[in-house]
Amino acid sequence: MRNSSLTILLLALLICILSVISIFSSTYQRESESWQNIYQRQILWIVLGVVLFFTVSSINYRRFWDWNYFFYISALFFLLLVLILGSVRLGAQRWLRFGWFNFQPSELVKIVMVIFLARYYSLKNADNVSLLSEKFGFFRAMALPLFFVVIPMGLIIEQPDLGTGLIILFIFISMVYLSNVKLRYILILLGSILSFMPFAWYFLRDYQKDRLMVFLNPNVDPLGAGYTVIQSKIAIGSGGFWGKGWLSGTQSQLRFLPEAHTDFIFATFSEEWGLLGGIVLLLLYYLLIRQGFLIAQRTRDHFGKLMAFGISLLLSLQVMINIAMNMGFAPIVGIPLPLMSYGGSSMFVTFIALGILANIDKRRSVF
Amino acid sequence: MGRVKIAIWFLTAAFLLITAGLFNLEIIQGRNLRGLGDKNCIRLISQRGSRGRILDRNGLVIAGNKISYDLMLTPQDYRQQDELISKISRILGKDPKDLDAVIRRSYSFSSMPVVIASNLKLREAVALGQLRIDYPYITVQANPMRDYPNIKLACHLLGYLGEIDRWRLTKLEDYGYKTKDLVGFGGLEEKYDYYLRDEEGGISFQVDHRGRLVRTLGFKPPVNGKDIEVTIDIRVQKIVEDALGGRRGAVVIMNPYSGEIIALASSPGFNPEVFLGKEGSAVSRLFKDPAAPLINRAISGLYPAGSIFKLVVASAALENKKINQHSSFLCQGSLKVGRQEFKCWGSHGAQDIIAAMAHSCNVFFYKSGLLAGPLAMHDYALKLGFSHPTGFDIPYEKQGFIPSPLLRKISAFKNWFDGDTANLSIGQGEVLVTPLQVVRMMAAFANNGYMVTPYITKSIDGKNLSRYHKKPERLNLKPETLSLIREGLRSAVSEPSGTANVLSSTGVSVAGKTGTAQVPPKQSHAWFSGFFPYKEPKFVMVVFLENGGPGYNSCVIAKQIIEAMKAQGLI
Repeated sequence: MRNSSLTILLLALLICILSVISIFSSTYQRESESWQNIYQRQILWIVLGVVLFFTVSSINYRRFWDWNYFFYISALFFLLLVLILGSVRLGAQRWLRFGWFNFQPSELVKIVMVIFLARYYSLKNADNVSLLSEKFGFFRAMALPLFFVVIPMGLIIEQPDLGTGLIILFIFISMVYLSNVKLRYILILLGSILSFMPFAWYFLRDYQKDRLMVFLNPNVDPLGAGYTVIQSKIAIGSGGFWGKGWLSGTQSQLRFLPEAHTDFIFATFSEEWGLLGGIVLLLLYYLLIRQGFLIAQRTRDHFGKLMAFGISLLLSLQVMINIAMNMGFAPIVGIPLPLMSYGGSSMFVTFIALGILANIDKRRSVF
Repeated sequence: MGRVKIAIWFLTAAFLLITAGLFNLEIIQGRNLRGLGDKNCIRLISQRGSRGRILDRNGLVIAGNKISYDLMLTPQDYRQQDELISKISRILGKDPKDLDAVIRRSYSFSSMPVVIASNLKLREAVALGQLRIDYPYITVQANPMRDYPNIKLACHLLGYLGEIDRWRLTKLEDYGYKTKDLVGFGGLEEKYDYYLRDEEGGISFQVDHRGRLVRTLGFKPPVNGKDIEVTIDIRVQKIVEDALGGRRGAVVIMNPYSGEIIALASSPGFNPEVFLGKEGSAVSRLFKDPAAPLINRAISGLYPAGSIFKLVVASAALENKKINQHSSFLCQGSLKVGRQEFKCWGSHGAQDIIAAMAHSCNVFFYKSGLLAGPLAMHDYALKLGFSHPTGFDIPYEKQGFIPSPLLRKISAFKNWFDGDTANLSIGQGEVLVTPLQVVRMMAAFANNGYMVTPYITKSIDGKNLSRYHKKPERLNLKPETLSLIREGLRSAVSEPSGTANVLSSTGVSVAGKTGTAQVPPKQSHAWFSGFFPYKEPKFVMVVFLENGGPGYNSCVIAKQIIEAMKAQGLI
């Protein structure tokens, strides 16, 4: 079906257009030229992303089944590399320098984990071609895959990037749920995670604790940790119904709102386009994610189906958490808004994920 | 696959929840949050206009404005330059550390200029202005400030300026008054504050997150206050205040036909500039001074009228036909009323109304008073303007008190005796009047029976207010009454034995009445009230000295004033 891949690309490009105009608006008043031209770089990432989309969508996704361990091991390799020689920015060590391009391996790990888990839960009995996952005992259904999840997750949280780490955990839980593993296993997992929570507090960095406290009450430290949330809420709220208009947002342009072109681009966008623009953007995301779910539902191949679910969930989780954090509904974790936030890594990975989605839909008739 | 459906439901619900959250932030809390956003980036630098001036009848400035120079520094471009600070401190003679502390203390955001030093001397301002060539981010700003070129002159008429108090603020908030506004207290400054006050202007501009200027949004020029012209003649006012010379008392000089106040002085005075300074001790010293320099004695001081009140008794008795020009009483130094002996200050023999007024003979007025009766005297006192405010256009005027048998019965449940009538006849007892009321009464005899309303405001912002002043009211006194009293007033000065004879040598024909109000155990108050020239009165005056001794002392001051006025060609 060429139709769905076109729809996906179209929706993604519409969001990208909103991304470019928002990035332009929030940076065009900066002093230095490199800041002012940042939107051009975003256009470059988008173009490269579209190229990746077409490349990936022409690769038969079944090959990922075979490349799975290679992906997994190279993902771990990159994460270790970051740990050893990654560049430190904004207090975290998340980036690898490739010439002029700063690459964020944790972005890639998300999609690798989706492939890994999709493969694991689509293993079939060699005799009667029935799915093994439904008959797995606790060890094979939960403990073993959890082990494979925790290694990259731990490395990512160590960077520290708690948000991405938690997204991987969440993807794991929801994919386990969708692959018909026995419900009580899942409940056992959730229960043990919940009981671990109080201890987790001691593993958090100071700034993470601050962010959690600030999430509970932004006014505890209005000029410190709470500043961003307050400014973001002000930016969104001052948009009103119609918004202040393009290039007229004071919060982002006068730099009251930090990270206005990356993690808090939703606030920038909402300030200028109001509730109307916000609803349009949400609708675009909803339609895109719905495409993913529709593809998953009509794919018969279990590997493709699970992968499509995983990708859709990954997208929706990032959108939800980012927007919720912009509105002060969620603590601040460094999760970009896919296709909107400035940044190459996120853009590439999102387009790769969408490319896989398009390919799954293209190939499903083969089976 | 049931689980997929559940997952899709979850997702849809999450999207709806986020939309609802967006609605809450942008529509329900939108206005509030937008206000916060504006507060983030919009700043105001206010600019004061100058307060309206107060001018005398000839356009001379009583209260004006001077320029005060402030040194300001824009922190945006200032980078801890010790060199600059030491240069400034050398010019101002201050410790550089203090200056640094001032900058840090008054810093609000980087494009908001900080006032480093205010009220600079011109020499300092010029020297600092030259520093601007090397350090463009310092400015010497000129601000208007209240100025009193004649220092204490007419201080009670002007009032003073101070920061608005809570009581006034709650009353005036709707008229655009804000905290820390300078408003008038007492006098013209208070009465016409709304006209005198300037409208604050300013520049509004947008700043970025560090407070740096992004662009100017708007400029509203300040509007200066409106000038007020008063009927006071500075030259007369100066003569009057010099004559009082700091003694406790008051003098009012008025035009007898219109009620224009030519001079109104209360003594001791104060320097209104003290209230502009930041020195609290000087202000509290004024408030604590036992001589009460802040009280305007001419309108807010209440004193027994003494013999001045005999004019009321004479009017009441003459109008009610109890006496006429031929009536004569024998003064033997005292009069027995009931069982009590009422004294006169001398033994005058046979006195008719003119002689009695010239000699201020108590016995004559005891008898006239007893004939007229206390009710008639009370009526005529009220008719001649006592016991209620004169309607003068300066705030805090007192109304005074005139006793009457009826009032006493109603309010104190006490009886009225003839002794009380005798006491009232010479203005003693419970009688309380203000000097302004006395001069107003005297005006009625100077202008042939019209009651005027004293006023001081001639025009506001060039607009003549004569239309708004109350017209003189005819009292319907009989011409014979007026001419008899006028003759009596004249003979008090012209007769060698008259109580105000000292005024006969001024070269101006004066008519008037003295008064010596007893306030035991203290020294008596000295009154003189009169008008001049006798034939065609141009001025009516009252001189009052608080605990100043006999009325003669006031006559001496009146004489000084009249002589000085004549010498300067003001009569």
